[in-house]
Amino acid sequence: MNQHDHKPSTPALQHAAGGAEHDWRLLDLGGESREPALQHTAGGAEHDWPAIAADLRRLLPASRIIAGPAELQAYAHDASFLTQLAPHPPNLAVIAGSEDDVVALVRYCARHTLPLTPRGAASGQTAGCVALRGGIVLALNAMNRILEIDVPNMQAICEPGVVHAQLNEALAPHRLVFPPDPGSSRMATVGGMASTNAHGMRAAKYGPTGAWVLGLRVVLADGTLIETGSVSSRARQSSAGLELTKLFVGAEGTLGVITRLRLKLMPIPPARAIVLALFDELDQAGEAVQAVYAAGIVPSAIEILDARCLRAVNLYRPGTGLPEVEALLLFEVDGNPPGVRYDAEQITRIVTPLARGVEWSAEPARIAALWEARSVVGAAIGALRPGSNRAYCGEDICVPVAHIPEALREIQAISAKYDLPIATYGHIGGGSLHAGHLIDARNPDEVRRVLLVADEIHRLALRLGGTTTGEHGVGAVRARYMPAEHGPALDAMRRIKQALDPQGLMNPATLFPEDVPPDLPILPRQEPGA
Amino acid sequence: MNGSGPRQEGAAAPAAGALHAGPHTPLAAEYPNLLACVRCGLCLTSCPTYVLSLDEAEGPRGRVAMARALLEGRLAPSPDLVRHELSCLVCDACSAVCPAGVYMEPIQIALRATLESGLGGDRPPHSPWQRTLRRLAFRFCFGSMARFRLIARLLWLYQHLGVRHLTRATGLLQLLRLQRSEALLPEIDARFLMPRGEVYPAAQAHDQTPPHGEAHAAPPTVSFFAGCIMSTALAEIDRATIRVLQRAGYHVANTAGQGCCGALNAHGGDLHGARDLARRNIAAFERDGQAPVVVNSAGCGAMLKSYAHLLRDDSAWAERAAAFSARVQDVTELLAGRDLPLRRALRLVATYQDPCHLAHAQRVTQQPRALLQRIPGLVLREMRESTLCCGSAGIYMLTHPHTARQLQQRKLDCALATQPDIIVTANPGCLLQLQSGLRERGSPVQVRHIIELLDEATRA
Repeated sequence: MNQHDHKPSTPALQHAAGGAEHDWRLLDLGGESREPALQHTAGGAEHDWPAIAADLRRLLPASRIIAGPAELQAYAHDASFLTQLAPHPPNLAVIAGSEDDVVALVRYCARHTLPLTPRGAASGQTAGCVALRGGIVLALNAMNRILEIDVPNMQAICEPGVVHAQLNEALAPHRLVFPPDPGSSRMATVGGMASTNAHGMRAAKYGPTGAWVLGLRVVLADGTLIETGSVSSRARQSSAGLELTKLFVGAEGTLGVITRLRLKLMPIPPARAIVLALFDELDQAGEAVQAVYAAGIVPSAIEILDARCLRAVNLYRPGTGLPEVEALLLFEVDGNPPGVRYDAEQITRIVTPLARGVEWSAEPARIAALWEARSVVGAAIGALRPGSNRAYCGEDICVPVAHIPEALREIQAISAKYDLPIATYGHIGGGSLHAGHLIDARNPDEVRRVLLVADEIHRLALRLGGTTTGEHGVGAVRARYMPAEHGPALDAMRRIKQALDPQGLMNPATLFPEDVPPDLPILPRQEPGA
Repeated sequence: MNGSGPRQEGAAAPAAGALHAGPHTPLAAEYPNLLACVRCGLCLTSCPTYVLSLDEAEGPRGRVAMARALLEGRLAPSPDLVRHELSCLVCDACSAVCPAGVYMEPIQIALRATLESGLGGDRPPHSPWQRTLRRLAFRFCFGSMARFRLIARLLWLYQHLGVRHLTRATGLLQLLRLQRSEALLPEIDARFLMPRGEVYPAAQAHDQTPPHGEAHAAPPTVSFFAGCIMSTALAEIDRATIRVLQRAGYHVANTAGQGCCGALNAHGGDLHGARDLARRNIAAFERDGQAPVVVNSAGCGAMLKSYAHLLRDDSAWAERAAAFSARVQDVTELLAGRDLPLRRALRLVATYQDPCHLAHAQRVTQQPRALLQRIPGLVLREMRESTLCCGSAGIYMLTHPHTARQLQQRKLDCALATQPDIIVTANPGCLLQLQSGLRERGSPVQVRHIIELLDEATRA
């Protein structure tokens, strides 16, 4: 691959220029309404798609071109409630078979002004991998080889379609682990995790996916293939220049297509223990978390389940027998065996005065049983209302840790206001809360109400000094909150986007509100005269 | 939110009245089942056709999306719809892992019935004469056990009068491109098992300890479901099942009037034929009162257990079907909690292959393993991907030979990696699929139904 054309370039800032010619307009970060780079009408209608499909079949020997009317429906969704209501089949889907093909496809799209939306497992909840403006979906799930496990340097070189759980299964014999652990481990791809900067339960101690990505190969919008994190490097750290790796982590495919990842690994901690604590009041659960940190203990995970979650688990798995108190906390500690025991005993001692009941265990079977109760929550919530559906919207806020009890109470108030059951659980160690709404998807009034619930929850997060998305990403569904969330920083993001993707073709309905087509069911339609 | 139709983007999910394929198509009855899918993708890595293709349209989530689009009028029946939906093995691996409770088997049955009946639009998957032929074949073969036995007897004659030798030697099979299908034919048992209502008594010698404080009760009775292929081609396994049940202390009723379970009809889209067979079986087994209905074929067991769903909208039969389905147990479920006179050691290394319709459709995985581990001398080694379909899947190995073969070879690789003496399973389809693959490889490894091992180990 010969992508690195070295053209002589002029320095942007002339060495002699000092400061007189500064372009002060750069500081003008006004919030006027913007035009999208790619016009909304451009999304595919006027292209000759059969001819494009024929071109791509010729150009992309290692890939498959999906063009049938039914099979394109299979690429019309992710897990977002938006795409449940409004599936958007792309004009074409390409199942990429090689990096060369991705480069060729991106060049072709640039030449013909075709929108391109990368897709991993489509387990996201933001419509971020759906071609809401038409064009081509680039499925990367079949590029799923683990190219190398570099054991001495504790790194793995992966293609983007490697499924997270399968990576850790392959690493286990080497006693290594890729620590980010989203709840969607069995489906999420590492490319998708990097693109959304996914977190997971153990982010409390180990941080987000971005903390474990050392370098990326990325195909830019003009077809240039770059490698971030220093070309061919196996260093575990670097200070060389702008952190481009971090730029593409969390960019949700708006800046380029990730075709390879260099991931940092760590040894599997030899011991683990879990402390389970039950609380009669939400505030006591919040205090317990702060008291544990104040004692100098950093649990690997702290999870909270609210009263409705506990009832749901008991209904879903009769015999689990969780007391239906206001909140349950699970603290996990990991490390060496004596340290784990010390931490678990300390947490038990600290939490006991605040809790109704506390127990801890280092027995693998008991740990598995307790995590099992946590892991079934997402599915169990459905048991609160048989026949209902989860609606994934307003499902991923993150608030300051100190405001968690308040956030949980507010969410229940919103639930009461709109008369829809909401069960909330989350990674309280980082303040991330997942609100699970249950609706009858065939009832238009419930659809309307749950969209209002999502909007109120997003506004609640901003009001409490948090963010609308703790770990799932922005996609199309949260773009409308980005001006309020980022202020002038959103304009800086726009300028980066403009510089790297001037035609606005890469995942063109994500992140920026003006890029999201109007009339999507993100909020209920205004009734005339209402 | 306005009351817009389903074609309009941004509309809520349509009310049932707006459904394109019509409220009277079988698929419309599965609409809540389709809507239950939250599209999380957890099913993908469990789906055999997705694992092979990595194409979303070849996975459960995509199939649900396509069916929903068809029903909501966003899609007309098209060749690619038919191709992707019919390539589903209906193994239910996706249903088994689904956190939202989507149940794939009835979706596939309803979808196929909708497409077959032409209600799904003007382009059904088969031409009218093909459809008639398929229907006749389903109804003819499975509609009456007398006819089924006649066909099985003809196959036996084919195998034993030198005709097979002739067709193989002359290359006639290659000419007709039937050599692979022919290789899948079981060695037909000379002696069929005909259910005539006879009762096989519990073994006298067996000393079943009565529960605490109760008098020595009369041995319990079970009703035996003989199956069409099991009672003919694999009749010896049926007889072994009856023997093991007797030794486990059961009176075994070989219930008269029973027939084929209807699974092949249902999976082929012949919903009427499947329901007829269901009603006949329910009526036949009602004569035995409340006795458990014991099955040794995972595929049949899954079908019998789903009669409740199949007939849920039939007011005359819904309740009877539910009562019947509640009685059905796989033979391993029944025996797992039972004392067995395990008199003989079997010094074998065995690996167990989970039949889809036992592991996924019935969620029975531990009982067969527990039974195998109780056999003295037997060593059980787990294979990788034990619950990934072997490709047999009813008549799938005939309709989709390429995919079926890929899955068969993958399964054999996983099974043989454990270096077993025998591969154990609990379903006729898996048995034949694995046997034909091993024969082709010239492997000395045997495939056995679990009941054959229990029969040997409990022999006096």
